[in-house]
Amino acid sequence: MIVARVVRGDVEAFAALVERYRDRYARYAFHMLGNRQDAEEALQDAFTRAYRSLARCEDPERFGAWLFRILVNRCRTLGARRGRRSRTFVVDETALLEASEEHPADRAAWREEIDRALQQLRAEQREAFLLKYVEEIGYDEMSQMTGVGVSALKMRVLRACERLRELLSEVHSA
Amino acid sequence: MTAVGRALLALAVVAAPAFAQDPRLAARLDKPTLIAVNAIVDSARVAKLPTSPLVDKALEGAAKGSDGQKIVVAVHQLSLRLGSARHVLGAGASIDEIKSAAGALDAGVTPHDLARIRAATGKRAVTMPLAVLTDLIERGVPIATATSTVIQLERSGVKDQELAMFQRNVRADIDRGADPGVAATTRARGLVLRSGGAPDKPAQ
Amino acid sequence: MRDENELPLREIARELREPVPVSESFDARVMRAVRALPRHRFGFWLRLTAPRTITIKPLTWGVLAASLIVFAAAGVPRAFGALHRATRPIATALFPSSAKAPVKSQRVQFVLVAPDAKKVAVVGDFNGWDAQHAEYQAKHRGGGVWSVTAPVPLGHHRYSFVVDDSVWVADPTAPRVVDNDFGTPNSAIVVEELK
Repeated sequence: MIVARVVRGDVEAFAALVERYRDRYARYAFHMLGNRQDAEEALQDAFTRAYRSLARCEDPERFGAWLFRILVNRCRTLGARRGRRSRTFVVDETALLEASEEHPADRAAWREEIDRALQQLRAEQREAFLLKYVEEIGYDEMSQMTGVGVSALKMRVLRACERLRELLSEVHSA
Repeated sequence: MTAVGRALLALAVVAAPAFAQDPRLAARLDKPTLIAVNAIVDSARVAKLPTSPLVDKALEGAAKGSDGQKIVVAVHQLSLRLGSARHVLGAGASIDEIKSAAGALDAGVTPHDLARIRAATGKRAVTMPLAVLTDLIERGVPIATATSTVIQLERSGVKDQELAMFQRNVRADIDRGADPGVAATTRARGLVLRSGGAPDKPAQ
Repeated sequence: MRDENELPLREIARELREPVPVSESFDARVMRAVRALPRHRFGFWLRLTAPRTITIKPLTWGVLAASLIVFAAAGVPRAFGALHRATRPIATALFPSSAKAPVKSQRVQFVLVAPDAKKVAVVGDFNGWDAQHAEYQAKHRGGGVWSVTAPVPLGHHRYSFVVDDSVWVADPTAPRVVDNDFGTPNSAIVVEELK
């Protein structure tokens, strides 16, 4: 409904779509790119591109999936362009210092470790891991999205899992 | 929904469609109607019949808020008319000819008269003659009169352009208050004379 | 053995699935960027993408009853129409008039006088009966006159006007075709090639 309205020229209706999808997809962008600023840039970029080519969205009921594909591509482009330097995860030192068993910051610290480990993966492995385990996308759909074959994707996910376990078991035992 | 219906529905949701489905149908029809319509469209495609009129018919029903059952019936009836049209016109008929013929059948032209028109046009396409015939009937020219008029024109070798002019003149005459049947036969007689053919006797 | 390896992954995935809130100004920034895009681009894209795939879920479902389908003779006050044909074939980018064109069409002008209308669209078997099709939206020319000139393929077609997305108005000057299928009348038009 909203998609149809936007296509007919109701620009403001697009705000409803932004509101609906931004948090869910911000999650992927954030974990993929490693920092909030890049994530928001990729997400904003994805929304404007989606708006511009809205008439090409084949099935308005699957707008979300279509938008997500655009976002995955944006993250790839942005990640490649920025290089390793800006994919370094920025750690909140203060939160770590105050961490204790009961303190809620402990959970935040654990999450930061995960993100830090994620950033140490190769981009393609990180992408495959996030799509499979976090966004819970099936391999067939993933293959369509990324243009990569299913077996190659499975390999990437496997490597990602192995590496993450390595990196995070070090943290655990520390 | 029956158990079979539920099974069909589940299958349709899971299985990839054999052919690319028109996405407009999915956007406008409820699931059971969509399945039934797609099945009819797929069968037509396999039978090498034009499918766009079927899709248009379903879209028309949806736009008019018709219930699914009516839509399925309408699409099915149209598919039968398309099949009948192709049967009469022969395997070499073009998509446009079949569509045009189905429209004529819908307006009340009999398959028998359709065959007569096919014979009268010879190698020329029947698309335009049938469109004009349908239009005449819709403007109030009795079906028999309209049919015999068009057959007469075709037999005398009238071209599509002249046929178009004929249709416009008849329309103008009817708009000015002439009796549709009289307008059609009068204009036809004039056209046949001009194109050098011998006019048939008025009452055919 | 499997559990030992699985467990951390499940935990990791669970953590990563937590929503990540965006900054407060995010929505505003996106809408600013979107508003800056030229709006006419939709018309451009819509002309290029055919057949139409964006449609509204029919508002008419359930809402539109037979009683809402109005003949021009009654119901819609002071609505009457005239159908004119363009006097010259006008080749459009999509429908060149050369003999090699796969789909031949003529531009046809549709006119309806409906002073109380807020929106008038032409629907027919040439545009999927889509009241939102950008090319077939009539413009108000003043004095309650709405018109649009749009391509219609050669041959015989059924069509209607839709006023305010809810009221179907047949063209009173065109032959009315009783619709055996859905119980609502359509108007008919034959488009011939003009040379």
